[in-house]
Amino acid sequence: MKTNNQSGYMLLFIGMDWHKGLSPEQMQKVSEDWMAWFQDLTQKGKAVAGHPLGPEGKVLSGKNRAVTDGPFAESKEAIGGYFLLDVATIDEAVAIARQCPGLPYGVKVEVRPVLSECPLQAKLPAEEQLATAQ
Amino acid sequence: MNSARAEPSAPGGVSHLVEHLFREESGKMIAVLTRIFGLEHFQLAEDVMQEALARALQTWPFYGVPANPAAWLMRVARNLALDVVRRHRSFRDKQPEIIRLIEGDSAVAEQPVFSDQEIADDRLRLMFVCCHPLIPQDAQAALALKTLCGFGIAEIARAFLTSEAAIAKRLTRAKQRLRDEGIRFEIPAGAQLEPRLEGVLQSLYLLFNEGYKASAGEMLVREEICGEAIRLAGLLAQHPAGNQPRTHALLALMLLNAARGPARVDADGNLVRLSEQNRTRWDAAKIARGMFHLAQSAAGGQLSEYHLQAGIAACHCAAPDYTTTDWARILSLYNQLAAMDPSPVVALNRAVAVAQVRGPQAGIDAVAQIQSQGTLESYYLFHAVLGEFEAQLNHWAAAQAHFSKALELVEMKSERAFLTQRLRVCAEKISARCPESSTSFVPTIERSKINRERAKTYENK
Repeated sequence: MKTNNQSGYMLLFIGMDWHKGLSPEQMQKVSEDWMAWFQDLTQKGKAVAGHPLGPEGKVLSGKNRAVTDGPFAESKEAIGGYFLLDVATIDEAVAIARQCPGLPYGVKVEVRPVLSECPLQAKLPAEEQLATAQ
Repeated sequence: MNSARAEPSAPGGVSHLVEHLFREESGKMIAVLTRIFGLEHFQLAEDVMQEALARALQTWPFYGVPANPAAWLMRVARNLALDVVRRHRSFRDKQPEIIRLIEGDSAVAEQPVFSDQEIADDRLRLMFVCCHPLIPQDAQAALALKTLCGFGIAEIARAFLTSEAAIAKRLTRAKQRLRDEGIRFEIPAGAQLEPRLEGVLQSLYLLFNEGYKASAGEMLVREEICGEAIRLAGLLAQHPAGNQPRTHALLALMLLNAARGPARVDADGNLVRLSEQNRTRWDAAKIARGMFHLAQSAAGGQLSEYHLQAGIAACHCAAPDYTTTDWARILSLYNQLAAMDPSPVVALNRAVAVAQVRGPQAGIDAVAQIQSQGTLESYYLFHAVLGEFEAQLNHWAAAQAHFSKALELVEMKSERAFLTQRLRVCAEKISARCPESSTSFVPTIERSKINRERAKTYENK
């Protein structure tokens, strides 16, 4: 990974009902574009993983470990899938997200850094050096 | 990171699908699902189809296209349908029966869920439903495109140059009719088949004309409409219930006319007249298919209007250029067509053929003999044709009057440009008092206008 305090970025595709009202022809077009997009990123080594998420699931919460159907009130807000990108900067991740073929149809893409270790630990070696120097 | 390596990536194979796959498969899925749910649950069939495509949209981008995408879609649709039947209260009574129907003997994975024959039958049933005489003509076309051809409302609206609201209304009305009239999801049998098949042919003919008729813009969408009409006629011709000489004749006429499509429009989107078309751009494969079905249509003693129109189109397709066209044969076909169909538009087309064979004066005489000429008064080609006949006879003042009238009636840019140019020639000739003819050009009306009257008489039956 690029730096020792984060390991790439995740693209979260938000919205599970954006395809409603699209014609079969449009759905085929988006499918093909999305497929080509992911394939290209994978071949270039920019995308290292990616999966779609199903619409139905469970939510556990509370002391009682209560299980409810979910996980979301609104399918508009649900996460429909993700890509894990191996890129160094958020700018590059955003540039990739910008190409998402679902954007014109209402998909939202959230770009989040993936943290690999506690960011505070990155400072530790310096402190250790300081300590040993004394 | 080196991206030049060609090693296969994690997500599977191809990213490209057969063109219009979703459209084609949605037509199949709706047909099959309608049989399963019953025509009264038409909307449910559409919803399940939509959901099946959505599952493909959600997963294929990540995993690649499955080995047999069509079978994959049908299997998903089947599973979704099972789910619906188990959950929906309205299916409670018939549930075991329907589930047996859905599950069939397809327990073996990778086996097609429904056989090609089953799908073909269901699509034909749906075709007979969409083209049912109790459904208004304009709604039939919209319904067929939506259900059989997998078009979206916006796409239909664009093809018919109308609003999405108008199309949605037509569809609602058509579905209302389906329910109110208790129209059945079946291929008509016995004495019923003949007239109902006639109705389907008529509807497909109108659908084709809708795509073929050259009005402003949107040529691409319109070509697709022609393509769909050809596809449906092809399905009909392949099925025992529709495999009639007339069906082949209709299919031939569509193919032979559509074959000229690529040459009908120039780079600027203007219409190109038959006489000026680059014939090397005609679609040889379509012509071959058209000729094949024309030959098929000759089986048996039937001679329909479709036969004659296909014959005329074949004459054009067979001619290496405009002047060597077999006009005598075209005239003979028009004579027969005029005897069968008293439409003034057919008579006008015939007059053009008359002029080609016997000269412009004979053409003018033929026009003069047209019954109910009045209905042609508002048709710009009527005046344009007369203008050409007069121009060929060096009657420039008369030609000018006809071209002026034609120009008043036409909106199409390319036609306006052509008529304006003809008027300029007229003016030059008149001012120079030059008696020579400068042209031997005669515009050809490529096709007859849609004959909606026939559709109406059928509805009254």
